[in-house]
Amino acid sequence: MAAAAETTLHRSRRRRRFWAGAVPYGLILPVVVVVSLILGYPLYWLVKLSTQQYGLFELIRHEGISVGSRNYSSVLHDSIFWHTLLRTVVFTVANVTLTMVFGMLLALLLVRVSAPVRVLLSSGLVLVWSMPVVVAVQIFYWMTNFQNGVVNYVLTELHVGDFSQHDWYATTFSQLSLVTVLIVWGALPFVVITLYAGLAQVPRDLVEAAEVDGARAWRVFADITLPILRPILLILTSLSIIWDFGVFTQPYLLIGQSKITSGNYLMSIYLFEEGYFKSDFGRGAAISILMLLMVAVLSVVYVRRMVQIGDEA
Amino acid sequence: MKRRSIVALSIVAVTVAAVMAATSGAANKSANANSITVWLQIDAQSGWPDLVASTNQKFQSDHPGTTVNVQYQNWGDHLQKFDATLAGGSGPDVIEMGNTEMTKYMAAGAFAPLDRSSFDNSASWLKGLAASGAYGGKTYGVPYYAGSRVVTYRTDLFKKAGISKLPATTAAYMADAKKLFAKNPKKGFSPMYIAGTDWYVAMSFVFDYGGGIATQISGKWKGLLSSPKSVAGLNAYKSFYLATSRASKTTDETHPNPYDVYAQSQAASMIGPSWFSCCVGKANTGRTAQFVMPGHVKGQAIPGFLGGSDLAVPVTSSSKALASDWIKDFTSTSAEKTLQAKGNIPNATNLLGSSVNERAAARSWFVPTAKHWVDVENGNILRNMLAQILTGKLSVKQAAASASDNIASVLNQP
Repeated sequence: MAAAAETTLHRSRRRRRFWAGAVPYGLILPVVVVVSLILGYPLYWLVKLSTQQYGLFELIRHEGISVGSRNYSSVLHDSIFWHTLLRTVVFTVANVTLTMVFGMLLALLLVRVSAPVRVLLSSGLVLVWSMPVVVAVQIFYWMTNFQNGVVNYVLTELHVGDFSQHDWYATTFSQLSLVTVLIVWGALPFVVITLYAGLAQVPRDLVEAAEVDGARAWRVFADITLPILRPILLILTSLSIIWDFGVFTQPYLLIGQSKITSGNYLMSIYLFEEGYFKSDFGRGAAISILMLLMVAVLSVVYVRRMVQIGDEA
Repeated sequence: MKRRSIVALSIVAVTVAAVMAATSGAANKSANANSITVWLQIDAQSGWPDLVASTNQKFQSDHPGTTVNVQYQNWGDHLQKFDATLAGGSGPDVIEMGNTEMTKYMAAGAFAPLDRSSFDNSASWLKGLAASGAYGGKTYGVPYYAGSRVVTYRTDLFKKAGISKLPATTAAYMADAKKLFAKNPKKGFSPMYIAGTDWYVAMSFVFDYGGGIATQISGKWKGLLSSPKSVAGLNAYKSFYLATSRASKTTDETHPNPYDVYAQSQAASMIGPSWFSCCVGKANTGRTAQFVMPGHVKGQAIPGFLGGSDLAVPVTSSSKALASDWIKDFTSTSAEKTLQAKGNIPNATNLLGSSVNERAAARSWFVPTAKHWVDVENGNILRNMLAQILTGKLSVKQAAASASDNIASVLNQP
């Protein structure tokens, strides 16, 4: 009798333990379902599309023709793809470096200036942040206009040289430099404000102690500030790389469709032109997958660091 | 534990509700069948919005309870948008297509066949336009209007520069440009504003010298731009541009719009569709006139690009009969006469008049009618070549040779 009561108790406890263990899974189930629907389903179709011949003809019939890895080999044997990849890597390095360097300098400046200036500066940054990209592109486009642009006017008036009717869109280098200015300008607020928040974590007494020991500003920055900011810098850099590698809106709109040729493609534009303009959606999907893999490799650093921070906390 | 299960349950409930809301929204949308969507290019919005409005009015009084939803599109990206609707449904019931864009879509079966005889003046449709809307013996595109390119100029500036007779050759035009420069020393002023990469103008020079873009020889496309005649035409374009225009060498003919430059009095003349006269600026309306652009041989107009639009009904439309009825109204004799009054060439020969625009159409050229021609346009092969030529990055011969090969390889794709 007692033994029987014991087993019932055991069983009910076990059952309760089973339910207690299931609750967390039940809780994340909706998230898993939603994420797999909004990420997994399109991804599945993207992979499927990339193994198909899928042009306008197939699009109208909603039915592709399976071609295996032909799209991939055609992209990987395309010299334009490799040129574009190289150009995009150089472009990304330049953009990320400029963003991080200027972001750091501005964040340090924010710490130093008086309160009213800090408010002015940070509200300026927030305004930049809140401006829609398309509007910013249009304003940059007007400012650099060939005939009536304010940039040409000011440079000429300042006697920097004769910039009247200077064509900022004449060479690929000049075009991509303008795009870089636009992207760095737009990326600065997030980087500056995040770094400024990080700088608040630097213990004041540590800096003072170093200064008492006779350390110069640069030594203090290199030996105290930087190590403390490292995790933030790492995450900001990886995020910037991911964003700048796949950037589309700024270059596409600023350079303008009629000036885009295989000689100034960035990866995302190459994808858009090959996939959509030529209505070769299968090939476009293959380029997407290749880009996805590249970005995934780049994100490994970011994800690993996030996990580490999670473990530390 | 109890609270946990309630939270979990409520999350599930919210998710289910969200999915149901999403699906019921989709169901509502397809129920609204008494409405047709029409995609027109912005030319109609800026040039003849009143015709669109009166057509819709007539259509709606003939079809009570049906609404017409006109959405204006840009030439630059309307095909990408159209592709997206072909994949996902809910696309337009009527779409305006450039005559150079039709072939690729007809070949892919994107349009529904139309009954040609049911449209006004269909027996005398302009040959070039009608051909751009026909494929495999069936009609898929109804000619909407055509446009040639003419010179719009400032009569006062020409007079002030001592030009008493309009130029009869391109060489005479270049000489007049010198006089116009002398009287208008302001930097950036163009005696004739031509955007550097305006390939419609450049190809006119190529055809004027007997050249061409590409030709089909026993089923295979061959690029013609590197031929001596085409190179002569490109050289002529380069010297004409350098002698007359101070536009950017790398910009296209919509950034900025030539008529905006003209309205700001930064140009004495410009070349483009005759409806450019719409937007020359208030101050210039009384002192603006048009003439036919001369060629390099006296007495002959330069061959102009005969651009035009067709109206088509996508296969994905669920109201094909209504769509076709709307097209009938929009291309009726009276509608075409309105378009003509706005400076366009009407869609049929029996409606042709003797305006400067219609005279300019007497010598014209058209792009190769190849399935992949639109890829040549979108790939900016010609624009890139012109920018290379004008900026001096490549010689005319080099740029033409590379563009010619490029075009042949695009057109010969399967």
